[in-house]
Amino acid sequence: MTITPELLLNFTIAGLMIGVLYALMALGITFIYSIMKMINWAMGEFYMLGSYVQWALVVFLLGADYWFVGIIGSMILVFVVGLIVQRVLISPMFTSGMERRDEYGTVVTIALSLFLRNLMTVLSGPDTRTPGRFLPPVTLGTLPVSGDRFAAFVGALLLIFLFYLLLNYTWVGMAFKASSQNRVGVQTAGINILRIDQAAFAIGVMLAAAAGALLAPVFLVYPSNGAIATVKGFEIIIIGGMGSIPGAVLGAIALGLTESLGSVFISSGLRDVFGFVLLIIILLIKPTGLFGERERLS
Amino acid sequence: MNLQVDNVIAGYQEGIDILNNISLMVKPESVAIIIGPNGAGKSTLLKTIYGFLRPRSGAIRFGDRGIATMPPHEIKHLGISYIPQEFNIFPQLTVEQNLRMGAWIFRNDKARLARQLDHTYEIFPALKRFSKTRANTLSGGQLRMLSIAKEVMTSPKLMLVDEPTAGLSPKVATEAYEFLIQTQRALKSAMLLVDHNMEEAIELADYVYVVDMGRVRVHGPRSEFDAARLRQIIQDCLLGV
Repeated sequence: MTITPELLLNFTIAGLMIGVLYALMALGITFIYSIMKMINWAMGEFYMLGSYVQWALVVFLLGADYWFVGIIGSMILVFVVGLIVQRVLISPMFTSGMERRDEYGTVVTIALSLFLRNLMTVLSGPDTRTPGRFLPPVTLGTLPVSGDRFAAFVGALLLIFLFYLLLNYTWVGMAFKASSQNRVGVQTAGINILRIDQAAFAIGVMLAAAAGALLAPVFLVYPSNGAIATVKGFEIIIIGGMGSIPGAVLGAIALGLTESLGSVFISSGLRDVFGFVLLIIILLIKPTGLFGERERLS
Repeated sequence: MNLQVDNVIAGYQEGIDILNNISLMVKPESVAIIIGPNGAGKSTLLKTIYGFLRPRSGAIRFGDRGIATMPPHEIKHLGISYIPQEFNIFPQLTVEQNLRMGAWIFRNDKARLARQLDHTYEIFPALKRFSKTRANTLSGGQLRMLSIAKEVMTSPKLMLVDEPTAGLSPKVATEAYEFLIQTQRALKSAMLLVDHNMEEAIELADYVYVVDMGRVRVHGPRSEFDAARLRQIIQDCLLGV
């Protein structure tokens, strides 16, 4: 294949688009980690729940014309599920004064991921589903893009922007940032840290659900469709630096571009390998990731 | 409002009590100091009063409210502030954002927030110069000042202060005492102070508690104590006399 500047530009745009979608997933993972210092291994299953809710709402209730209402519905529903899961399964680790609560919390999310995946297999069967196509193709420059993929890209950009506004221009956002830096400090300021944990978990899983719902018409809907998204999400937060919000966004774009350009210059069959190569290079050069900081233990 | 601690037993692990039937009282606008050897339970007592640790038995009252089972954020709403030993700041936020976080409980009252910020800058003028600076660039003394200023944004009726001079140079330690006493007088609040720096800390106190093995060993007004007597009492504690 001859690589022309036009082709390169097209693949760069494609890489940016998928990178922004990866960013949603990575933001959710890193946001939860930055507040609670625990890793939510069930993020892929919340992505899967988001895609199923979108599929169910569009197919049984809303119809394809109101797909965007389905996105909001998926996010709200998974947000509520996140609140309940955090309150019932995770919060007890953080209120009983136990040591290594973050590690126990992480183990709970591994169990939760297996539970949710199997629950969905029982409820919906192993079949793959699709809510159908919502939008006609669009052309970006000379690059023809699926309308649904472009809508997912725009939706992801919008959500990242709203998340940025929440973190930087609201009291709650400042409380989230403060909680990630000093948990005792927020409690002495009069903030209920358990509420912060609960809200952070619910927002984090809601972002994953948004990614699942936005990509439901692009990728198929089935019980283990969140597995790849989870792997990409973790690759990104290691590339960007654990707990770093800018790192998650830039890491996601770096991964998207690497995969896309690697597909052009080397082989599209090795697409998923390129991310790991990038990850290894970053770890060799900067083991804490692009924006991560070495933890200081006194 | 009086702070009243009655026969409190508390500890971090089941079966190991750090506080053993400890009782004390702090009167409004007064300064009470707790001194004692390392491991006596001084810091644990403050954590227990502020709700980080739940007593196994006993009562803690602030005015007419029982606070022994309240979580920290509710205790803050009653007008109690806790200044822990470590620098209790948010390193990535600016000085002013730290102060604003200290005013969380009245964050929607913009007029009060602006008034309180001005008042805090009056007490700590050095902080105003650094208001837009990230806290992690401040010196040790400035961080101590910010830790205190953040917690007094709410004009507390009672301040629980744990080892305010720990890890500070003698010059900065003297400044830290000045910040504290200046704040306590400006706010007319009560203060329960834990400190190892007997000579300087006792100068601030109206009342002295000597704590050993999780209980009060000796207490009385400051006039009954001087540094030499306190040193002797601590020595006796360490020797198990």
